[in-house]
Amino acid sequence: MLQGVLTFILITICVASSFSKPGDYSLTEESRLYTKISDVELATAQGRFRLSEVYGQSPVMIAFIFTRCSGICSPFLLRLNENIKALSSKINFRVLVVSFDSADSLADMVALAQRYGLTANSQWLFATTRQINELNTSVGFHPVWDSTKRQYDHEALLVGVNENGYIVKKLTGIREPRDLLVMIKEINNDFVLSYPLPRKNMLFSCFTYNPATGEKKASLGLVVLLLPALITLLLLFWFSLKKQEANRAS
Amino acid sequence: MKAHEFVLALFLVSAIAIAGLFYYFFLSSRQAADGGGVSNPTKKRFFFFTALAVVMIILLLVTIPKSPYFLFTGENPSKVVYVAAKQYSFTLSSSAIDPQNPVSTEAIELPAGQPVEFRVTSLDVNHGFGIYNERAELVTQTQAMPGYVNRLRWEFTEPGTYNILCLEFCGAAHSFMRTTFTVK
Amino acid sequence: MTTLSLKKITSAWIITILALFVLAIAFGITMRFNQGANINLDPAKFYSLLTTHGVTMIGIWAVAGMVAVNYLLARYVPVSTSLNVFAFILTVVGVVMLWVTTFIGHFHAAWTFLYPLPFYVAWEKWATPVFLLGLGVLGIGWFVWAVGMMLQILKKYSLRHTFAWQHLTTKHDVAVETPPFILITTVSLIGIIVCLLAAVVLLVLFFAEYFSSGSFVNDPLLMKNLTYFFGHTLANESLYLGLATLYELMPEVSGRPKFKTTWYVALGWNCTMVFVLTAFFHHLYMDFVQPVGFQMIGQLASYFASLPAAAVTAFSVMVLVFKNPIKWSLTNILFFLGVVGWLIGGVGALIDSTVSNNIFLHNTLWVPAHFHTYNAMGNVLFSLAFFNWAANEFVGNQNETKSYSLKIVLLLIGGFGFVLMFYFAGAYSVPRRYSVYPQEFTSAALLASAGAWFACIYLVVILWMFFDIVKKCFKVFSPSY
Ligand code: HEM
Ligand SMILES: [Cu+2]
Repeated sequence: MLQGVLTFILITICVASSFSKPGDYSLTEESRLYTKISDVELATAQGRFRLSEVYGQSPVMIAFIFTRCSGICSPFLLRLNENIKALSSKINFRVLVVSFDSADSLADMVALAQRYGLTANSQWLFATTRQINELNTSVGFHPVWDSTKRQYDHEALLVGVNENGYIVKKLTGIREPRDLLVMIKEINNDFVLSYPLPRKNMLFSCFTYNPATGEKKASLGLVVLLLPALITLLLLFWFSLKKQEANRAS
Repeated sequence: MKAHEFVLALFLVSAIAIAGLFYYFFLSSRQAADGGGVSNPTKKRFFFFTALAVVMIILLLVTIPKSPYFLFTGENPSKVVYVAAKQYSFTLSSSAIDPQNPVSTEAIELPAGQPVEFRVTSLDVNHGFGIYNERAELVTQTQAMPGYVNRLRWEFTEPGTYNILCLEFCGAAHSFMRTTFTVK
Repeated sequence: MTTLSLKKITSAWIITILALFVLAIAFGITMRFNQGANINLDPAKFYSLLTTHGVTMIGIWAVAGMVAVNYLLARYVPVSTSLNVFAFILTVVGVVMLWVTTFIGHFHAAWTFLYPLPFYVAWEKWATPVFLLGLGVLGIGWFVWAVGMMLQILKKYSLRHTFAWQHLTTKHDVAVETPPFILITTVSLIGIIVCLLAAVVLLVLFFAEYFSSGSFVNDPLLMKNLTYFFGHTLANESLYLGLATLYELMPEVSGRPKFKTTWYVALGWNCTMVFVLTAFFHHLYMDFVQPVGFQMIGQLASYFASLPAAAVTAFSVMVLVFKNPIKWSLTNILFFLGVVGWLIGGVGALIDSTVSNNIFLHNTLWVPAHFHTYNAMGNVLFSLAFFNWAANEFVGNQNETKSYSLKIVLLLIGGFGFVLMFYFAGAYSVPRRYSVYPQEFTSAALLASAGAWFACIYLVVILWMFFDIVKKCFKVFSPSY
């Protein structure tokens, strides 16, 4: 009984904290970049593939989850699905959802796909693998089994792999569409020269990412930058209007 | 001829040409009488303008693709180096740097002949990240701006010890802010 | 109408500007000797000098252009002397505030005070707000003055005529002719107004963060854009004010017909007005966070801003002089040499504004090399030409008999020698804004000492002219004038 209450409290805290800081960048994102992902064998509803057959066709984002998760996995998948739907469908990539829990069967994964209505969506692939440890190591993912909670202690991880099988971008936590866009660009070998670090919200930032078009969008800061020229133009027009009035009066 | 020297030579030749031309104009005015001057100046001006515009456009077309933003973009870097600048030192690390506790773990060694990537940020004010070779020539650079990570890709052709100097004024000890790495 | 009060205030400006110039050069030479290891300043002291030198030089040469333009504008439209005096008082107050922060408060964040450096206080605590406030005081004085002049022009010329748009049409029966001086002054004043407004925005954002105690934070990228929008544009517009003076006075003192506004003059200056406002992006080439589109605009604008400059102004000066009998005097020889310095500095700027060169020139001494060329050997000469002309005007004698060839030769040797040392060091990757040079730059210190000695020669000529000009300027204040 007591154990149950404690578990409940702990899980609540876990979930709450993961929600309170969505979009949190974690330093683990920076590990194993530009290394090749392990070419494991995958079991999917469509049959057995090697991972290289998946990324060989198009760049891929790999989401690491387990079906029994009572924590971050479902909000993570939910948001990922929503964000991808919001993006233009022309962008070239696939999403591979892979279970890192050896207790998950292919049937569990198929059920998961069904729950999100993604069974028929060819952009999404749900898989299990017998070589999960190898895969985990190759992307720098380290879930820890907590036998009291009977849950994995883990972070939400999305790994971007380009067509050559290199890990080019990782995202941890539940992230905004703009971060997803950077990943999509990166896995398509479109170099993104710079990225912002998490920081206090700034009112007058120059750019935000527009999720609909994938472009950097002017935000309030750019208006600030245009302000001097605009004010000057207005001043000029105001003067000349006033003068015209004066001329007409005289 | 290396780019540095080419640029200097280009400048000196142009400067001398301009100075020479204007000296010639000056001299021409000393023996001139009324009614001299340039014949058909509007036509000449038009030719001059057109020629200059053509040269500029050619220069733009040649130089813009060589901008650093377009270099090594499709390639897979063989190594990533994280850089955190802070008054007045650089932290270099091959794994991500914790802003709360920036430590360089090991000496950085990079491979020659393969693209590498620097991820450069600042933990306080703006700094510069200039990479100098053993002959003290500036090879490439980017800025270290707080709140952003700038990604600089480069392929070192020569092995050796490289110096990193701060190239954005950051306070009194700006000229002492430096570190090194090696290319093998 | 050039009134006595206009002459007096102009004299006061000339005397003040030249005095500040001499001091600022002395600071410059001190810095260069320090870089040459001839003397050994504490780095904080060096950077206080750098800050003072930068802010003073930029300030006085911007304002010198305004002074000249204001004086000559009186030929076309009534100008307000009280605004001029108001700007003078605020400028003096502002400069005193700035010098107090750098010399007493040890403020040393450089004249660009790049965010967030002024908040990393390594000087007296009060120095940061007082420095920003000092800039604000200068800015307000100049803003009001510039707007005042703009208003006077717009009272006489319609918007269309101030920009000389009537000259762009094919119909040649132009009813109202816009003098080139009015056109260029308008273009420059608009630039000045825009960049001063950028400074206002910048200062407001600084103070918002300063007083919010951490709840309001600025975007370093936006702040850097604003800094160079203001700084770069101000430096450029100062030069254009100098050119306005040149268009007005150079033919006159040469005994040649006045310059006319033709379609290409009108077009050139209208284009310049636009290009110059986006060229500042070239200061952020190495900030990879800036969108690549802006970087490309930066290079395009920097290149195309030079086209009208060369094809319109430089070509017109050539046409004026080439095989024409010119009454050479100190005034027009200074204008003429100023054009040469401006063009040579422009070549240096063009090379640096090419992104693929900027990667190894950015923030090296190449940068002070080119801007000192078009300032110390360009804009300064335009202003000195005006000062010399005005001083002669005050004493009612434009026919100088004194020989000026020694002055000119020394000026050329000193000025170009000084900047050449910067170019050599810049091409060999020596960083700018270094109080001392690391050992690996084996010749940097030597070049610095040489530069300092050349600058001494330049200073001698400036002092020489200073006494000639100031002597005449003081006459205006004598009761018998
Ligand atoms: C011959 C006279 C002059 C001398 C000896 C001189 C000397 C110097 C020196 C040594 C520096 C520092 C260079 C570096 O290491 O970055 C400097 C910077 C500067 N100078 Fe001059 N200068 C002179 C004239 C001028 C003039 C006429 C202007 C007019 C606008 C000017 C504006 C500046 C500015 C804006 C800076 C940059 C300050 C900074 O980096 O914050 N200088 N000068
Ligand atoms: Cu630094």
